[in-house]
Amino acid sequence: MFKELDPILHSQLRLAVISLLISVKEAEFTFLKEKTNSTAGNLSVQINKLKDAGYIDVTKQFSNNYPQTICRITSKGVDAFEEYVKALQSYMNPNGK
Amino acid sequence: MTETESLKLINEMIGKAKRSYITTGAASIVWGILIVLCSLLTWYQVYTKHFFDFDVWLLVFIAVIPQIYFSVKEKQKKKFVSHDERTMTYLWTTFGICITMLSFYDSKFNPNSATTLFMLMYGIPTFITGGVFKFKPMIFGGLICWVLSIASMYTDFAVDMLFMAACGLFAWLIPGIILWRRYKKQQAC
Repeated sequence: MFKELDPILHSQLRLAVISLLISVKEAEFTFLKEKTNSTAGNLSVQINKLKDAGYIDVTKQFSNNYPQTICRITSKGVDAFEEYVKALQSYMNPNGK
Repeated sequence: MTETESLKLINEMIGKAKRSYITTGAASIVWGILIVLCSLLTWYQVYTKHFFDFDVWLLVFIAVIPQIYFSVKEKQKKKFVSHDERTMTYLWTTFGICITMLSFYDSKFNPNSATTLFMLMYGIPTFITGGVFKFKPMIFGGLICWVLSIASMYTDFAVDMLFMAACGLFAWLIPGIILWRRYKKQQAC
């Protein structure tokens, strides 16, 4: 039986953002934009979707008089990512070998 | 997006994040230069019996200023915080406190074996940092500190100072230069 893929994560940009955030403790919006080669508008929309799902925390602050958006993955996001990878593996290797 | 594409994307992003963990190595270079310089100046004084009017090891405390400057500058430039950063901060702060305490102990009691203890201490954060970041030059540097620490139990003070200069060279100066070159290479890309 195949596990269902999480629709929140099964999107190119959202999956890219979660994969980056799982690798670091926290990251700035500009870091995510640079690494995913996305536009600010699209990235902002996808970050909000991840935030609404409770997969990431978003903090807005000022640093040297410039606005700064910091993103970090939540424990719910880590669990969802792990489940997503397990589900992918079940698709890739249906016999479980 | 197919399953294969998803896995490829995950791997690609994790790889990109990993490759972003790059430091200038400036703090390591400054610390390395000072240890090499102070050790060689001390060796020169003992060897020539020509002693300076000041303690050259006080220069090490001056190194704290550029260390803080480079750390703050690097932190301002960074757009992410890695999982290991907190561990590294505590590790190197512990090292700084222990080295300061050992320096006071050395100046108060003047034990013959203090250089052995200093080199033993140098190896600890260097080896751990190298291991955590899988950076072989620092693993190698940490091991050299410990080997020279053992060797210094059988040598006189002047030779110990040459060993200490070698510790500064292999534990910090050379790894620092390698990190600096990597940083410059990445900046050029």
